[in-house]
Amino acid sequence: MNKTSHVLWVWIPVFIVMLLAVMSLSVTLGAANISWQLVWQIIFSKIPGVSSWIDVSWESNIETIVWDLRLPRVILGAMVGAALALAGALYQGVLRNPLADPFILGVSSGASFGAALVIVLGVNVWWLGSFTLPAVAFLFGFLSLLIVYYLSRVNQKVRLETIILAGVVVQSFVGACLSLVLALSNEKLQTIVFWMMGSLALTEWDYNQMIFPIMIVISIVSLFFIKELNMLGLGEEAAHHSGVSVQRTRFILLVLASIITGAAVSVSGAIGFVGLVVPHIIRLLFGADYRVILPLSIIGGAIFLVGADAFARTIMAPRELPLGVITAFLGAPFFGYLLRRAKRGFF
Amino acid sequence: MLELQQVSKTIGDKQIVHDVSFSLDKGKSIGLIGPNGAGKSTLVKLISALEKPSSGCIHFFGEDVQKWSVKKLAQHIAVLSQDGLAPYPITVYDAVLMGRYPHLGFFQREGKKDHELVEDVLETTGLSEFRDQMLDTLSGGERQRVAIAKAMVQHPQLLILDEPTTFLDIGHQRQILNLVQSWQKREGLTVLMVLHDLNLAAQFCDELVLMNQGEIVNIGTSEQIIARETLQSVYQTDPEIIRHPKSNIPQILL
Repeated sequence: MNKTSHVLWVWIPVFIVMLLAVMSLSVTLGAANISWQLVWQIIFSKIPGVSSWIDVSWESNIETIVWDLRLPRVILGAMVGAALALAGALYQGVLRNPLADPFILGVSSGASFGAALVIVLGVNVWWLGSFTLPAVAFLFGFLSLLIVYYLSRVNQKVRLETIILAGVVVQSFVGACLSLVLALSNEKLQTIVFWMMGSLALTEWDYNQMIFPIMIVISIVSLFFIKELNMLGLGEEAAHHSGVSVQRTRFILLVLASIITGAAVSVSGAIGFVGLVVPHIIRLLFGADYRVILPLSIIGGAIFLVGADAFARTIMAPRELPLGVITAFLGAPFFGYLLRRAKRGFF
Repeated sequence: MLELQQVSKTIGDKQIVHDVSFSLDKGKSIGLIGPNGAGKSTLVKLISALEKPSSGCIHFFGEDVQKWSVKKLAQHIAVLSQDGLAPYPITVYDAVLMGRYPHLGFFQREGKKDHELVEDVLETTGLSEFRDQMLDTLSGGERQRVAIAKAMVQHPQLLILDEPTTFLDIGHQRQILNLVQSWQKREGLTVLMVLHDLNLAAQFCDELVLMNQGEIVNIGTSEQIIARETLQSVYQTDPEIIRHPKSNIPQILL
């Protein structure tokens, strides 16, 4: 057995256990005091087949708090964290840039702009119902990516430097549009700002049902590109000479990364830092092999965001802090510590 | 096996390669030489289909390489470039294994045979002791050796070397070129190399193609090309030609 599969066999189970621990801890936290045993009993009582083994000995309002309020939020947190970290890992690999994060190509600015428009105009597309906001945000995010790609295409080829610059262009333009909407929206300002800072507070099971399939499909598809990601690491020309069709692979991976970014941002706002830092932490701890980076970033992102959300809603309870603030607050010092400790360059 | 017919490449309104034709037989090695800006590197990019020629065609075993998929191309042609492999933190073993990529299907994983091949090649290139080291901890010369090992595993019919020795000291230069030469003898590999160092080119190539300003000036053996008048007109300098005391191959002194 080689080193890489050794790392995976040891650390994937460890990460999963950590994730389950953080999630169940997070469900117990809050105004009503609920033990983690009770949490798991309630969860198991919902599973067909297992439920007959469990005595329902709790009040129904406890069940409501666990099942309808806290659990959807924790699961959504895990999903959004996983999505952002995966997107960050993909962007960093494809763009070969350590500063790449899920927001670098303007996807999140686009999504935020779309969301702000929906909030200000109060539009509700009837067949989308409460999905109008995430759907429009997603659409705008994806449009931003297409514009970036269109701008950076010269002679049917897209160069890396140009993509990143085009991303900056689109980001600042859409950012300006967003500021304009903010300036013109008097009474809705606070809603938009809170949404932009990132929050899981608006969670319902519905949102989970929307992001879950996207997340699963994109994660699985991206795992098929591990070889290509590693080969891009050796340089684009080297990858071409070894048989990777660079332009096509890059386009597919950027679209995948942007879809999950759009999906995550559309349900929870632009939560910063997760997508930048989690893949870097994994890379610093376990090396740059994408066989390790992808799966561990997915689980690690989930752990990080569930933990950060638990912080955000308990540390100044009953007041809830913006999640984006907490992720940077926890993530930056830890990342700084790892940077100091790292013996070698890490990209 | 490789045939170029009236290949030209224009970028903007500048003609980089103009009307280049030559052919390369199986098992032979050809050296592309010429001053900076002669169009050598562009020609290599055209042959490896990184860029498309503006006119003319490049045939490989009678087929147009521009119509090949990137994967098919890599099954037949391996390229060793000036920069080699980026200092990326993955192990030597994993980097060499990547050479098998063009021979695998999209859902296929490397099998026992692929791993055996990597083991063999690590042995021949003397990289066995480095197998678990990260690429970013190796020196430029060692990394270039990994690049050769990766190319060997790729099992190409044509190997293109684009100034692979530019950043290496004389010891490593020799080592890399010796590896290529013994590989060529062992498996009947065909080699096209771009070299700046005329002395190395004369020693390691069966035939030399001298280029200047995008055109071929002269094609011939080292005896014919490494001559005072020929080089003088192209390089704008007046070199002394002497004979190598052992191999009797013409060499230049500046």
